[in-house]
Amino acid sequence: MIMKRLLEFAGLEPERFQARWISGSEGAKFAATVQEITEQIKKLGPNTKMRDTDE
Amino acid sequence: MSEKKAHQEITAKLRAECKRLLETGTVHTVIGFAPGSMPGRTVPVFITNPQEVAQLTWNPFCAANLSKYLLDHHQPGGKAAIVVKGCDSRGIVRLLQDNQVLRDEVHILGIPCRGQYDHRKIPGGLEVEETEPLEQGTADVAHPELHLEKCAYCENPTPVIYDLLLDDAVAPSTDSKGRFTEITDLEAKTAQEKSTYWDDHFSRCLRCYACRNACPACTCRECVFDQFDPDWVSKRNNLTENTAFHLIRAFHVAGRCVDCGECDRVCPVQIPLRLLNRKIIKDLDELFEAPTPGTDLNVKPALGDFTPQDPDEFH
Ligand code: SF4
Ligand code: SF4
Repeated sequence: MIMKRLLEFAGLEPERFQARWISGSEGAKFAATVQEITEQIKKLGPNTKMRDTDE
Repeated sequence: MSEKKAHQEITAKLRAECKRLLETGTVHTVIGFAPGSMPGRTVPVFITNPQEVAQLTWNPFCAANLSKYLLDHHQPGGKAAIVVKGCDSRGIVRLLQDNQVLRDEVHILGIPCRGQYDHRKIPGGLEVEETEPLEQGTADVAHPELHLEKCAYCENPTPVIYDLLLDDAVAPSTDSKGRFTEITDLEAKTAQEKSTYWDDHFSRCLRCYACRNACPACTCRECVFDQFDPDWVSKRNNLTENTAFHLIRAFHVAGRCVDCGECDRVCPVQIPLRLLNRKIIKDLDELFEAPTPGTDLNVKPALGDFTPQDPDEFH
């Protein structure tokens, strides 16, 4: 919770860092969550923050 | 009492007490402030000889938090005496809570503080004529507008822990309204604006690690930023790696940062590090009703304790 707020304070879009409690027996919840997050991130487009270190 | 008299009296009391402590062998070292090489500057001093206590001084330019030095100067079976202001004393509480220093290894000389001057704010900079009256307390009026930012909303001008208090207690700031204004202002901005704000600052970081070295919450003997194998954080000095450094530094002291403002004060390029740490203090307050770390020895650190009432947002 602290980490998430810190990242947002530093200018990361809230959707880019998310956390959920999902137990090993909740396959459907896992799939739905991943889908949901993927859609949100696609809408945002590529991340531009912290991208100036070339390999 | 005039400011001048107060400084002189405190200094005299401090020297006498330290002389006694060293002579009787109560402490092996005194960690305090001595005059620097120009007005408006003090330097840390480490005294082991009772004949040298005249080096010690007290004035409103004793901004440094000396509590970090305890890590190098505590000895099992012996005591170090240390001079602390209110905010510094929170650092000691936090070190005690982490067992970095044991209570019977430290003799705390507390000085209630009326605010410390920020020489960056003094018109004329470090000119003797401007600084000396403030330092000696002979200025006609006190100048709170020239104090360090943290002093304006000081929660603990009087040390929260001490063995001896060298002056009458000072009441905390009653103006709690402005405490987090700077943070709420930045929170209200868009992600892009926030990002630009920090990019402007982080891109200037020299990675000198002065902020880490001064911090009483940074107590690891081997720091993640120094390690090469594994190379946890790249040493490259660019915006990305600097951002990584800053986020990790702030997070590593989360729940332990006592808001002493040393990181901010020692930064040679004036990056507002304290703003980042205070954001975490504000969140700890909102999420866990946690007081500023180090305020109370008996309150368990919010991030070091679990209760079933803790909030959970990740379901
Ligand atoms: S992070 Fe900065 S304000 Fe917090 S304890 Fe360390 S030096 Fe003091
Ligand atoms: S003191 Fe300032 S310049 Fe040095 S590492 Fe810390 S933030 Fe960077």
